[in-house]
Amino acid sequence: MKTLIVIREADYGWLTPLFPGVHPLVMPICNKPFIEYLIDFSILAGSTAVRIVSDGPLNDVERYCENGSRWGIDISYASILVDDDLDAVMDKNARYCSEGRMMVTSGFIFISYEKKHELKPFVAMAPAGTLLRGSTGSLLLTGTPENVGEVREPAPCSLVELDSIGSYYRLSTEILNERPSPYVLPGYSNEPDCHIGRNVVTSKGAEIIKPVIIGNNVQIMKGAVVGPFAVIGSNVIVDRESTVSNSMLLDNTYIGENLDIVGRIAYGNILIDPASGVSIAMEDRHLLSGMKRDGIFGLGLFRYLFHAAVSLLFILLLFIPYLLLAPLLKIQGKWKNRTMTFQGVQQGKNVIVVRPSIAGEGVLSGLARSLSLDRFAMLFSALSGRVAVIGSFPVEAGRHQEAATSVLMPGYRPAVFSYAEAEDWPVNAEDSSIVERYYAVHGSPVQDMVLTVKAFLNRIHAQDQP
Amino acid sequence: MQQERQRKNNYPMNTFMTMSLPSDIHYARIASKTAMMVAEFFSGQSGIAEKREEFCHAFELAVAEAFANSVFNAAPQEKERQVMISFSSEKSELMVSVSDANPEFDPEMQVPDILSYPEHGYGLVLIRQLMDSVRYSRQDGMNQLSMIKNAG
Amino acid sequence: MTVNEKKCKGITIVSLNGSLDAASAPGVLNSSSALTDTQSIVIDLSGVDFLDSSGLGCLVGIARKKREQGGDVRLACLNEKLRKVFDITRASRLFDIYDDAEYAAGTAAKK
Repeated sequence: MKTLIVIREADYGWLTPLFPGVHPLVMPICNKPFIEYLIDFSILAGSTAVRIVSDGPLNDVERYCENGSRWGIDISYASILVDDDLDAVMDKNARYCSEGRMMVTSGFIFISYEKKHELKPFVAMAPAGTLLRGSTGSLLLTGTPENVGEVREPAPCSLVELDSIGSYYRLSTEILNERPSPYVLPGYSNEPDCHIGRNVVTSKGAEIIKPVIIGNNVQIMKGAVVGPFAVIGSNVIVDRESTVSNSMLLDNTYIGENLDIVGRIAYGNILIDPASGVSIAMEDRHLLSGMKRDGIFGLGLFRYLFHAAVSLLFILLLFIPYLLLAPLLKIQGKWKNRTMTFQGVQQGKNVIVVRPSIAGEGVLSGLARSLSLDRFAMLFSALSGRVAVIGSFPVEAGRHQEAATSVLMPGYRPAVFSYAEAEDWPVNAEDSSIVERYYAVHGSPVQDMVLTVKAFLNRIHAQDQP
Repeated sequence: MQQERQRKNNYPMNTFMTMSLPSDIHYARIASKTAMMVAEFFSGQSGIAEKREEFCHAFELAVAEAFANSVFNAAPQEKERQVMISFSSEKSELMVSVSDANPEFDPEMQVPDILSYPEHGYGLVLIRQLMDSVRYSRQDGMNQLSMIKNAG
Repeated sequence: MTVNEKKCKGITIVSLNGSLDAASAPGVLNSSSALTDTQSIVIDLSGVDFLDSSGLGCLVGIARKKREQGGDVRLACLNEKLRKVFDITRASRLFDIYDDAEYAAGTAAKK
């Protein structure tokens, strides 16, 4: 048997504005993307092949599911037009559908089942026709039954339509609360109601109350309480003394200090109340979304003055080495001046800075690099307030998809040195943005100065290493 | 650790291959097939098997687009000109740069609404979607379009 | 690039083989009158191993001219690489895409 999964843009249109940048078909429900539940169901029902059909883009779905080898089945993809009815869809996939028995799911639906071993015999024996029908979706069978036998009514599965944020939230919490076992991926913990991913750091005094599902790279800071009934995605920080219960935190979300997130869905800096469907961009001072617009430099005036002073200090310190080394390296051809365009604090406002590259293994190049002379020109940009002296590692404009910076890294503030360098954090974009976010909230002018010096020293130290 | 840092600081990539082709659309396939083979070689060398086909196709298509863009951007009387293509890498990132001495162009160009049947203008949209990072620079009368994709 | 034609249920199926790109696209239009007349056709892309934006532009141009004159173009058998180009550019919103050329001809004949 083969399965055709038909989902139209109109079916999931309500979800796109709430979660910009996430394809609804790979939107997580608990800790698995939506589409994987339908694929699992197809396999349990006896399918050897699945074709995902849509009038919208499928690239992101394709990137996730690939050719299906992960599940031991064939997965293919096809496009239809907006006004194609189900017959037209079958026509367009005539070759795929030509081998007899087909199962067709239509709409943005979730199919729940109690006993998975009953699915396959039921689907094999049931006569052609509609098995389940809702107002926006359905499950139907075509072709002659594969097995003969007495069909036991009703179908051992039921249909859950995802047509609002409320239904999405209810489904996620229901899976977590009542019966995660047939659906949810096993975690690293052996406890049945507690799924915890890789690299989850729980600080002293933090508490996790079952049932919970926690993704990878999650930090739960001092005094924070997660659960009961919490679904936490990957790359998430729950800061000091905050509580998260009956809520879902999607990937790359930062929850500031002293916050109570109860019965909410949080995604980046967006907080959604699933009951009313109201979504707000969080502006609380503990949350980073507020910081992004804190002054034109992404810094308050006082903090800017401090940054300017620190950059002036560094300019004075590095002035002589710069005058001595830069011309020499230029003659050797190892010093190349480049203008680079970085994303500014505000979306769409780029910062242009001079950032030379220093090539070569020689003593002079090494010395220049260890003294951070490649950052010398950028210090002037910090003096004029166009970048901070310490903050985030600048993201090149055009690097990564548009809009990604503000969504992925609340608190982003391009700077000469980055907090990640100060902490000697493994340089990996995902990890370092976590540190940057942390300091963007907890930093103070004095700490900024200490960290700038630390970053500078770390770069000297890094050069000494073999 | 040191290399890791340098990579983040400057993206100094190690250029391991350069080629120069006549600015003529009939060479586009040579450029794109070469890019595909380089991507295949690179992903094999770095032992990255997952999504290898996608990775190679991305380079094949992106270079085809960049090359065509360069050829069509040249003034007709300047057939003699060359298109330079260089391949660089660092860790699991592969970068291809396509440069020419043609007039400046707008790398941010958007495709017009598909429902109006546009016959041109898809090239840069494809490149931006296929690659992790795309940089355009104009220096000393040269256009350079650098495209980076991580094989990891 | 080679171009072959055959009739199926009164509808011409034009099969393209090879690379449909900036170099080959201009020649394709001259190789088959079925691509430029007003009749509805099916273009079988199963033999196309590479498609770039110029190739796509060529298909879009054929569709526009046919539709302006009351005809139509159906496409059949896009491999994954071609699908990707259609997906990114959203050109899939312009075409009826079938997984079987002869079946596509059958549905075109019925209209």
